[in-house]
Amino acid sequence: MSQPVILKSNRYGINLILDNNISFAELKKAVLDKFKESEKFFKNASIAISFEGRILSGEEELELLDLIAENTSIHVVCVVDHDELREQLYKEKIDSYYNNVADNTGEFYKGTLRSGQVLKCDSSIVIIGDVNPGAKIIARGNIVIIGALKGNAYAGAAGDESCFVTALTMEPVQIKIGNVIGRSADKGPWEAIRNRKRTMEPQMAMVSDGNILIEPITRELLNSI
Amino acid sequence: MSEVIVITSGKGGVGKTTTTANVGTGLAQLNKKVVLIDTDIGLRNLDVVMGLENRIVYNLVDVVEGNCRIKQALIKDKKYPNLFLLPSAQTRDKTSVNPEQMKKLVDELREEFDYILLDCPAGIEQGFQNAIAGADRALIVTTPEVSAIRDADRIIGLLEAHELKDIKLIVNRLRMDMVKRGDMMSIEDVKEILAIDLIGAVPDDEQIVISTNQGEPLVGSNSLAGQAYTNICHRILGEEVPLLDLEEKNGVWTKFVGLFKKN
Repeated sequence: MSQPVILKSNRYGINLILDNNISFAELKKAVLDKFKESEKFFKNASIAISFEGRILSGEEELELLDLIAENTSIHVVCVVDHDELREQLYKEKIDSYYNNVADNTGEFYKGTLRSGQVLKCDSSIVIIGDVNPGAKIIARGNIVIIGALKGNAYAGAAGDESCFVTALTMEPVQIKIGNVIGRSADKGPWEAIRNRKRTMEPQMAMVSDGNILIEPITRELLNSI
Repeated sequence: MSEVIVITSGKGGVGKTTTTANVGTGLAQLNKKVVLIDTDIGLRNLDVVMGLENRIVYNLVDVVEGNCRIKQALIKDKKYPNLFLLPSAQTRDKTSVNPEQMKKLVDELREEFDYILLDCPAGIEQGFQNAIAGADRALIVTTPEVSAIRDADRIIGLLEAHELKDIKLIVNRLRMDMVKRGDMMSIEDVKEILAIDLIGAVPDDEQIVISTNQGEPLVGSNSLAGQAYTNICHRILGEEVPLLDLEEKNGVWTKFVGLFKKN
């Protein structure tokens, strides 16, 4: 092994891949160096940690954790045994938790989102105001805009393609739902302003056959979701 | 009670400096004691537009660095004894002053003046941060072009994040003939996009170019743009003045001047 300690991050924390052929004292020093190196990156982070490549005694494990706690600002939430199946289970639990949150709860935001502003939300979101060109909303759940969508909206940010985006006036630059992106037609910004509909027509964007589909909101449409 | 007003736009070349010169002069014509501060350090030109370039001895950076007293750096206007200019430095850059220093300077000037107008540089970097630091109100200048409006929108967002809530819009260089043909955004279009209150619309008027080149603000003159600026000044004082009909021709306006009294 070229390096005694390798840090590998996954979605929920980091794996420490340890060299089995060096003494524990050497290993401790290597771990410390490694964390010092990436101190900036992990600054104040709360992470789960797992050890790989070497079987540690309970005492050794504690010693390494103390080392990390004393010398860095990283907060180790828990130690995870490295186990693919377990990680998968863990991931499913977390995703289903977030999906439930996204499905069942929402937040409100009142005000106009202006160019350069980004609003992120772990659930669904209702915006009372306009989303101007250059502004962006990212939500794990649905996005409901009581106003005009003229900027970017990203619903189902955890990958859920059953999410939707609705707006009273639908003139987005881009809409992304799950992993599907749709963009506006290639017309200049002035044309968009000139051709703007004077009356509001509430519309809904959703994923259909791998594309973003925007349709006027009707009773049938609402019944179908 | 004095008020500090920053004139800003995000985009360059939309008329911040011209607006500052004319609104400042207009407020002075209404007997307010006014100081204009050019915060565009390194690219000063408010002094040129005011026709006061030849009087500069000390500048903003000199005041902040303590090389002179504020009074020494203030330049009295040629026409109005109640109008002053604090010019910017030409040989320094935006980092020569920080927001705290600007705020302190502005607060000192509050004791002396009714209105303190800050001419903001283009952009959103330190020059902008300096200009907005001590401001109570903001006037956003935009032209009816998508690029200027996009930048204005960004600026409004930044001002709101800075807890500056009193933000009014000036639509500059409006060409009614183009609006009529459907080739330019109307005031309504701009208002709808930016969702803030309008304080005035200024027509595209060649008299502006002439007055700028002469270093004589045209506010108060009979030209449409001059009238538009006078109206903006009345609205800053809290008076309700109807919007000018920008399609009217010159001449009719002299008759209307009498209407621009309080309410």
